[in-house]
Amino acid sequence: MNIYFLSESKLKNLMEILLEYGKVFAAREADIPSNKNSESRIFLGELDGNLIDDYHVPGFRAFDSFKSFVLPARSKVADYPDEKWIDIKEEKNKKVLVGLRACDLASFSILDKVFLEDKDYVDPFYKNRRESLILVSSDCTYSKDSCFCNLLGNYPYPAKAFDINLSKIDGGYLVESGSDVGDNILKKLSLPDAKENQIVKRDKNREKVVRNLEKQNKDFVKAFSKLEYLSSKTFDSDDGWDLGSTCVSCSACTNVCPVCYCFTLFDREGNRKERYERYMVWDSCQFKGFSQMAGGMNPRFSQIAQFKNRYYHKFFRFNERYNVYKCTGCGRCIDNCLGGIDMREVLSGAYNFARVK
Amino acid sequence: MENIYYPRQAKLKNIKEETPTIKTYQFELDKKLKFKAGQFMQLTVPGVGEAPFTPSSAPGEVKKMEITIMKTGKVTDKLHNEVKLGDTLALRGPFGKGYPMDKFEGKEVLIVGGGVGLAPLRALIYALFDRIEKIKKIHICYGARSPVDQCFKDEYGKWEKKKKVSVDLVIDKPHCDWKGKVGLVTCLLEKDYLSRSGVDIKNAYAVSCGPEIMLKFVTFKLLDVGFKPEQIYLSMNRRMSCGVGKCARCNIGPYYLCKDGPDMCYADIKDYPNVFG
Repeated sequence: MNIYFLSESKLKNLMEILLEYGKVFAAREADIPSNKNSESRIFLGELDGNLIDDYHVPGFRAFDSFKSFVLPARSKVADYPDEKWIDIKEEKNKKVLVGLRACDLASFSILDKVFLEDKDYVDPFYKNRRESLILVSSDCTYSKDSCFCNLLGNYPYPAKAFDINLSKIDGGYLVESGSDVGDNILKKLSLPDAKENQIVKRDKNREKVVRNLEKQNKDFVKAFSKLEYLSSKTFDSDDGWDLGSTCVSCSACTNVCPVCYCFTLFDREGNRKERYERYMVWDSCQFKGFSQMAGGMNPRFSQIAQFKNRYYHKFFRFNERYNVYKCTGCGRCIDNCLGGIDMREVLSGAYNFARVK
Repeated sequence: MENIYYPRQAKLKNIKEETPTIKTYQFELDKKLKFKAGQFMQLTVPGVGEAPFTPSSAPGEVKKMEITIMKTGKVTDKLHNEVKLGDTLALRGPFGKGYPMDKFEGKEVLIVGGGVGLAPLRALIYALFDRIEKIKKIHICYGARSPVDQCFKDEYGKWEKKKKVSVDLVIDKPHCDWKGKVGLVTCLLEKDYLSRSGVDIKNAYAVSCGPEIMLKFVTFKLLDVGFKPEQIYLSMNRRMSCGVGKCARCNIGPYYLCKDGPDMCYADIKDYPNVFG
């Protein structure tokens, strides 16, 4: 694969080309004026022609995940009775996402297993949205305390599943294409090849972030490398799950999670006579009503049973079904937990208990 | 591309009151639909919502379908209180795998139902009647709260008259109109009772549907009298939304009841947490 060099000043040209493909949504740094000491925050937003002049790709993941581009918080999935909604036409308009991290790319491949690669039922809405995306990813130039992608066998830089990847180095970016769409975009820029020393520099940056992650997560390596300790028995007992006691079932973790996809369907009357609408909305296994039945029976009645279910889904039953853990190690749930719960500590607690037993 | 969330229209052709809280609704579909015993449908009350129900009528390729429903929640309240004959509702499905009919060939089938749980089992009973020459015996055990709460009352006699079929009924508490057995449905599964009914446990499958608390004690009783986990099938009709194994609420272990069930072999699920809630 060819690696090219894109100078900082030419990033604008790349963005202009991307805008020709469709709307561009990017992770971008936003200064918080009232928050003097803190670093700038990274948010997702549409990048129109006016914003591309000052745009640079941030060195870290965005606060929000890119999940809503394939699974919006609320979307209409049926308008009934209406013949044309039985079959869904393919979406032609492209959307370009810029500033995805390796963890964000991994989240799409995990969601694909459920909504796209299921041999019995493909979600046509997901398929349309997913296939209309052009993915421009980027290396992490630093990590935060909550990051733990390394514990799940991932790296802080993208290796696959992108159309274009940008690696920040002095004076610009090293650019790689990962698809035909990426090749076509880069052709239009006619970029020079990267120099050997630039590639060495990039690899050094990558190495630095990896080392940092290894250092900060060294205490959790054992628990994560032995996830098979989390047998059904571990989940059957409440022992070892004490850290879940500060959970307030707010669902912040499932909302910010790039791979928490649980949803519910709800119906309502439409704006025409005898026409009705069906919506798919985000739901959360952290809510008591998630599995509760009309007669009152609830297979996960207690708060701790609901709390454990999220871990059970991510680190046991999803893997049994799809052979991959349903977690990218992005750490957003840790950053946003009202109860100060750290997924790494919870799993270590469960592991220690299972091992001691 | 097919929209898996779109419900097809179904016209309500008949409503039959089974008990004060249970009614059987007969639907006419816009085109023929093939379903197997145990597979379920998502029934839409337009503008109100969807809920999963296993049809209670004979399976096959059908244009008409019966669904027996108890009044318990938002969708079923609307259905019982406001929906009228001739109204158009909507259906999605069938979903799930259904009962393993092939396994029942050459075997005895012990059917254990409780309350409205007899509804999915009625579809199974008709499917078994349909291939009665391949089935050794059918034992039907059914428990209800009172004689008033029994579903499909006018059919027990017809079932019993068939060759190779036995029907045992029980109600929870003594009742002035009831001369039969009183107790929980598990009392029909006591060892001496089963042997008096001529059940050959080694060559039988047990299939049960009812409230989960009943399924729990039926399972324990069946194990107690010598059934192996492999011989027990449970209809775990839990809360479902999508019906296609995506919304993730109806799992037992790695199985989704909507896609892999709702009729699960106890051997497959017994080691996972919260099997009976």
